[in-house]
Amino acid sequence: MDSKHAIMVEDLVKTYPPDVHAVKGISFQVPPGQIFGFLGPNGAGKTTTVSMLTTLLRPTKGRAVVGGIDVAEEPRRVRRAIGLVFQDSTADGELTGRENMEVAAGLFGMSSAECRGRIDELLASMDLKEAAGRRVKGYSGGMKRRLELAVSLVHTPEVLFLDEPTIGLDPQGRAGFWRYISQMRKEQEVTVFMTTHYLDEVENLADRVSIIDHGKIIASGSNDALKERVGGDEIEVRVGKGTPVLTTALSAVPTVREVKREGDLYRVKCPRGEAVLSSLVKACDLPGASIEGIRVLRPSLDRVFLELTGKAYREEGYDEGRAAASSAFHRRRQGGG
Amino acid sequence: MYRELAALLRREYLRWVRAPMWIVAGLMMPILYLALFGQAFDLGKLVPPNPQAQAGLSSALLGAPDYFSYFAVGMVGMVAVTSSLFAGTGVIFDKQLGILQRTISTPARRSVIFASSLIFRGFLVVLPIFIVLGLARLLAFIPGFTGLTVVENVGPAGVLEIVVGILAISMAFTSLFLAFGFLFTRVESYFGVVNLLNLPILFTSNALYPAGTSPLWLQHITAYNPISLAVNVMRENFFGASYYAYPAYVYLGGLLAWAAALILLALALGSRALKTK
Repeated sequence: MDSKHAIMVEDLVKTYPPDVHAVKGISFQVPPGQIFGFLGPNGAGKTTTVSMLTTLLRPTKGRAVVGGIDVAEEPRRVRRAIGLVFQDSTADGELTGRENMEVAAGLFGMSSAECRGRIDELLASMDLKEAAGRRVKGYSGGMKRRLELAVSLVHTPEVLFLDEPTIGLDPQGRAGFWRYISQMRKEQEVTVFMTTHYLDEVENLADRVSIIDHGKIIASGSNDALKERVGGDEIEVRVGKGTPVLTTALSAVPTVREVKREGDLYRVKCPRGEAVLSSLVKACDLPGASIEGIRVLRPSLDRVFLELTGKAYREEGYDEGRAAASSAFHRRRQGGG
Repeated sequence: MYRELAALLRREYLRWVRAPMWIVAGLMMPILYLALFGQAFDLGKLVPPNPQAQAGLSSALLGAPDYFSYFAVGMVGMVAVTSSLFAGTGVIFDKQLGILQRTISTPARRSVIFASSLIFRGFLVVLPIFIVLGLARLLAFIPGFTGLTVVENVGPAGVLEIVVGILAISMAFTSLFLAFGFLFTRVESYFGVVNLLNLPILFTSNALYPAGTSPLWLQHITAYNPISLAVNVMRENFFGASYYAYPAYVYLGGLLAWAAALILLALALGSRALKTK
């Protein structure tokens, strides 16, 4: 039993014969009660990892323990301990929201008396009470997502897996969905493992983050720790025409680590931007020099990703070839015919 | 375990009752056959009324008093095939819509998921069969209609043989088409194969016309066709044993072997489709 971790992964590998290496040996731990963000571009291995942790795919090598239970040894017990929100809707459109939840509860062996209160409570907290008696095929995209969340929580799981849960939602829908996640976390004790390729979602919600690319974890840590790796804040100083070169003067300001000049624009790296602003302005006080603008940029995971991979993180279309290979593989995974 | 089964059966049932066209069309087809084709197409009228020719007809119809009675029992075989044609479509749609993935991500046993499909789809086959048989029998009491005339006195053992036979033929074809549902991910592939199979299955049986007219090689195939075995069980009980080489329970045994084999086929393909990879 690894009771101190909600999820513990050691050297997990998934290979599809003959030579598709979807996940190439990853390790991480998630303490109970945390939100763990698993970030990576399309085709990086996120869904494959989630599928292994949720017993839908068998690992080729390595070990994964979820809720203290080994996924390869006791998959049925793991299934009882976890909730799962898939990328696509899995509700039956011909059934009402409530009926979908009742079927899900039945599949977890709950009696109708046992689940009634729980279903009412979840429908209320997801704002689906009024729509509960309507068939799901008439639901909006956001309502369907909330229903998925409610369905996945019906048996009170210890660990909740969210596999790119906001894919295909508009920005408003995405923001709404995450509001419900935050609310759910206040109401019940559950560890959340979420994958996403939206950087902002991880930045706002996750306690800890791992970045996966090409089947390998390239960075792990808290949001702040990851940002620390790229050298803290960046200050952009735009100077007026005729200003002499300021590189030396700016570099001399205490705590400044690096100064880069791009024409009239200087990029100054330092751990805490606000602390050095006035010193920077003083350093620019030279004959003929003028400042046109100045702003502090907080480090983002976007920059973390850029620093680590040398590639800018694009939300769609990153490395098209791999993404195509991955979706072809997913089609194959669903069986031939 | 029964809660999981009940949940899955309830979902199937709710989907079914919410598609009234499915129910109406499914039940109308066999009823129309009985009411139109069965009434209009009377093979007996083509045979001259002299005793020798009538004896030949009786032998061709394996003891049935008229063609409608022969045909009504054959309809059981026909309905077993046509009602089970859709048995695999639910699984395919569940795969496409992600519902199956949701189901297998729960702790419900794979055998329960499989059993729920087999039981519900089997029910959708058994139901119209009993309706057809009941209606055909009812027509015998309505003036102006030809109905199913039962010649023999069918005892409890006979009733049991008939009911088990109906369940077996329903399970056999439900399993066969369910197996294709587990095998394929596209409805097009599924119906391609199903359409290829359903007419040969039906027309190599003695369900709709006497087998005596077909060439010998075809008669051998007909003898082992599960539909032939099922209708033999019923006809022998309804019309007497004099035209049959074996007692009804022998045909029933053959039919049960078919049902078991096809259930195993569906189980093999089903457990492959429901397995984690």
